[in-house]
Amino acid sequence: MKTRFLISALTAFGLLASTALVADIARAATPANVLVVAQSIDDIVSLDPAEGYELTSVQSFNSLYQRLIASDAADPTKLDPVLAESWTAGADGKSLTFALRQGATFASGNPVRPEDVVYSLVRALKLGKTPVFILQTLGWTADNIDANVKKLDDSHVQVSWPADVGSAFALSILSAPVASIVDEKALEPNVKDNDFGNAYLHNASAGSGPFKIKAYTPGEALVFDANPTAPTGGPKLSGIIFKDVPDPAARRLLIEQGDADITRDLGADQVAALQGKPDLSILQTPSAESDYLGFNASNTDNPVLANPALWEAARWLVDYDAIANDLLKGQYSVQQTFLPKGFPGAIDNNIFKFDLDKAKAALDKGGIKAGTTIKLEVINQPPFTDIAQALQASFAKAGITLNVVPEVAADFYGKVRGRKTEAALLFWIPDYFDAHSNASAFAFNPDDGSGTIAWRFGWSIPDLSKQTVAAVAETDPAKRLADYAEIQKQVQANSPLVLMFQAKNQIVLRSNVKGFIQGLTADQAYFNGVSKD
Amino acid sequence: MSSSTLPRNATRRPLGRRVVDSTRGFAVWFGTFVLTLFGLLVVTFALGLTSAADPALHRVGDHASEAVYQAARHDFGLDQPIPVRFGQYVWGILHGDLGASWSNSRPIASDLARVFPATVELSIVAIIFGAVIGVGLGLASALKPRGAIDNILRLVSLVGYSVPIFWLGLLMLLVFYAILHWAVGPGRLDDIVQYSITWHTGFALIDTLIAGDWDSFRDAVAHLVLPAAVLAFYAIAGISRLTRAALFAELGKDYVTAARAKGATQRQIVLGQAFPNVAGVVVTIVALSFTVLLEGAILTETVFAWPGLGRYLTSAIFVADMPAILGATLVIGTSFVTVNAIADLLTRSLDPRLRT
Repeated sequence: MKTRFLISALTAFGLLASTALVADIARAATPANVLVVAQSIDDIVSLDPAEGYELTSVQSFNSLYQRLIASDAADPTKLDPVLAESWTAGADGKSLTFALRQGATFASGNPVRPEDVVYSLVRALKLGKTPVFILQTLGWTADNIDANVKKLDDSHVQVSWPADVGSAFALSILSAPVASIVDEKALEPNVKDNDFGNAYLHNASAGSGPFKIKAYTPGEALVFDANPTAPTGGPKLSGIIFKDVPDPAARRLLIEQGDADITRDLGADQVAALQGKPDLSILQTPSAESDYLGFNASNTDNPVLANPALWEAARWLVDYDAIANDLLKGQYSVQQTFLPKGFPGAIDNNIFKFDLDKAKAALDKGGIKAGTTIKLEVINQPPFTDIAQALQASFAKAGITLNVVPEVAADFYGKVRGRKTEAALLFWIPDYFDAHSNASAFAFNPDDGSGTIAWRFGWSIPDLSKQTVAAVAETDPAKRLADYAEIQKQVQANSPLVLMFQAKNQIVLRSNVKGFIQGLTADQAYFNGVSKD
Repeated sequence: MSSSTLPRNATRRPLGRRVVDSTRGFAVWFGTFVLTLFGLLVVTFALGLTSAADPALHRVGDHASEAVYQAARHDFGLDQPIPVRFGQYVWGILHGDLGASWSNSRPIASDLARVFPATVELSIVAIIFGAVIGVGLGLASALKPRGAIDNILRLVSLVGYSVPIFWLGLLMLLVFYAILHWAVGPGRLDDIVQYSITWHTGFALIDTLIAGDWDSFRDAVAHLVLPAAVLAFYAIAGISRLTRAALFAELGKDYVTAARAKGATQRQIVLGQAFPNVAGVVVTIVALSFTVLLEGAILTETVFAWPGLGRYLTSAIFVADMPAILGATLVIGTSFVTVNAIADLLTRSLDPRLRT
């Protein structure tokens, strides 16, 4: 009896499973005119442009929100008018007047009013979330912002700023996602405890971008619907599904099978395996990520870290080409200055290469003996652990032992930020599309614990900091670029920061997907021109 | 003398006494339950304190200013003394508030209500496969020791215990999804279905049936098959091996020798005598396997993009999201204790020797 029951139960399960399997094969394709993007989306903290600062959120903001002005998709060094039609700089050099685009509406149908512009900037400052520091570079604070953003009339807004910076810089800041214009009227009913609708915007959108959020289910998917009335034109797609697929191997299978239209963040080997497949294309664009090695000169436990001879030797001990081409299989390129290629003010000045003799000479001159040991902390994820091992091998040739300590990101950043490392291998991504973003990190240290990279690695640079401050205030564009070239060369020549590589975005697309643009920075992800043939 | 007749006399006590006993039994059980959960919370909280990960830094990001970072620390109560933080958390739980996630401000209760059914659904299907096949294999190998099925079972157990689960998951995806096209890809539901069903219970199989949406139901089943099969495989390995071992131990007892001497067949002995006697053990084994699955099959959920408790908990651990970790621990603790209590009751009803 029991055996018979067992057999029938097993058969029933088998049948149920196979019916389901066979029935579903026909479905293995993405919905027509809806783009399915397979990526990990569990980094989302908030989809409020005044708060979100994670990769997935930042990638979404261009689709959901618009600013007064934005970087041109094709040439990001140019600014295009978006919700503004035009702008004029004030005679004092510290204000801008924007004429708003006529007839522009939000996805809700509400018109884009000067009040919305004022509200959005005031809101971002008063909320005081992560990206607020970008707006604070204009000298704005929660207390003075009301006086610095004004409605002039029904189609004009004036912004002014107390910081000693030029209008070109102010325009760059206003093109950052944190300066997105939100729909005040749509947010009003969703405000709780004076939060400016912040909690509501964690999973919803209130913007004028080509898409709007339809649904967001953490761990499953972020779904956009098209906004056909976007002021700059509606998208070709009817929607996008960002599907949460945390495992890269699973993402690869999905794109190969056509169950995803776009995927990203695959390993070097996985991308290599997909090269040349007829149904797929691989979009390879430079990213603004800079990878660098930092020695913490403020760490008195190991005095060699503050020795400029070590800094110089380190520059000759990195096997740049071998790491970029052989180890990282072309996912990174060599860039030895702090502005990534393609960024305003970037220079091409890769003057260092692996040279053991020069490294040894520098170490001898500085009195650094063989047997010197340095603890190198690194994020426990590829490619950083791989790069660290390569550095360990090449430094060993000059008698310097690097003790590589891989750590989870949450531990690692706490230590770097608290100046608790000896040496660290990590990356930096600029916050906004202006040279000052990286200059204020790598070449600025007010020695007040302000957390710039120069501070985190204990590099005391009163003169260079002044130059950095002067460069951002410079109004002559040509002079400003020359200033940044000079500042980059100083960091490159003599600092505890060894800039090494610039990352590339590698995005795999089904070959019927056309028109996707990924710029240098994460926010420069443009889905509005995407179509599926 | 049958082993099942004697202890039954022991249950014949006055009704009033039995009610008092069972009330007391429940009170003891409930007290243990509450203590277990409290202990779990204390240990989890203490373990969280040893982590070097900084939840405030994760929340605001590496580029945030010191003021924003300090504000996040304040919001999370990290500037408060440790006992105060723990006390506030427990106070919240007593008032039905599990708090909000430190990494994204979402209420923990609604997050858990979303992810736990996904894990339970997967676990139930996996344990049904696992228990039926595992016990079946265990029985079959006891019927014919060193026969073909017994050898297969030993191979299955060996593979089940030694092959990494994520590898097996990826292999199954590769073979059945990518090469043979027999199965659907990772995910809990198809993209089209995902947003067309209305969630009532959080169980895709039940909610699609309630809606009478046969296509979506089949889609949900199709997505369940591969991850459930992977998990079931591991359950089979454990359950069949332990069932076999329990049966073999039972078959060495005197009453079996006596039965054999009386001419009973192996089949009569195994199915009629030995199996009923080890049924309680089998229930415990199955219950333990089930609780392991309920804790969230972390790697399986990752490989199959299954939005369940395991993935939720892992993500929370990586960023030291203490309210999320504690909330998930509570759910796991509660389900562990509950499943064990049910197994206990079942064992008692199956094994007269355990009745009081």
